[in-house]
Amino acid sequence: MKIMDILVKDAVLMDLESRTKHEALAEMAGALSRQEAGLEAGRLLEVLLEREKLQSTGIGEGVAIPHGRMPGLGRLVATFARSREGVDFESIDGQATHLFFLLVVPEHSGGQHLKALARISRFFRDAAFRERLLSSEQLEDVCRAIEEEDAKF
Amino acid sequence: MTDRPVLEREVTVQSELGLHARPAASFAALSNRFQSEIWVSRGSDEEWVNGKSVLSLLSLAAAQGTRLRIRAEGEDAREALEALEDLIRESRETRETGTDA
Repeated sequence: MKIMDILVKDAVLMDLESRTKHEALAEMAGALSRQEAGLEAGRLLEVLLEREKLQSTGIGEGVAIPHGRMPGLGRLVATFARSREGVDFESIDGQATHLFFLLVVPEHSGGQHLKALARISRFFRDAAFRERLLSSEQLEDVCRAIEEEDAKF
Repeated sequence: MTDRPVLEREVTVQSELGLHARPAASFAALSNRFQSEIWVSRGSDEEWVNGKSVLSLLSLAAAQGTRLRIRAEGEDAREALEALEDLIRESRETRETGTDA
């Protein structure tokens, strides 16, 4: 599985306007649902908020991977968002979150879900990759960075 | 140069959903309570990742049944390994009982 195959490019947000967790999730859910027929923004937001209640997906190092399962969805979809100022995402290390990778998976996709999480985590655990996404000017720079990682393994 | 204890043991991931985001976060949080450095590797894989980082743990893609090696280096290595082994053993949630991922 390549990340570029599941990333909905037109839903990427280079500058999140939101400063709170709820707003940030709503902004990302809105952007993704506008591009993806069959994904309803309100329902997606509900699913994401439910998941956050269990434990924040702000997993530290400035990164969050909000995710959820959507019944009826035909395939994995993902988007990326960035906040230069940072969002208080209740992250586990208490630091502001700047990089968001939103993953939405069909109801029955246990293995695929874990693989997608693993792959994106492998990218994000590299400080140089995180820095590159933070300093990207254009969407194309972000896509190039992801494509290069995708090509590595 | 260093005479601090280095201990290692192997555990098998029990959770039906594997070492997904929440168990990985629990593992990292528990690891962070110990002074020892914690390293984790898949079975025979030679790549060791930082057990105190959720991103690193998630990158293992450890599905149910995956054998993980946990290595602890430091004064409290034994206690750390016992606690982490218990955590992996106890996380047996299934689709029916746990809200997933």
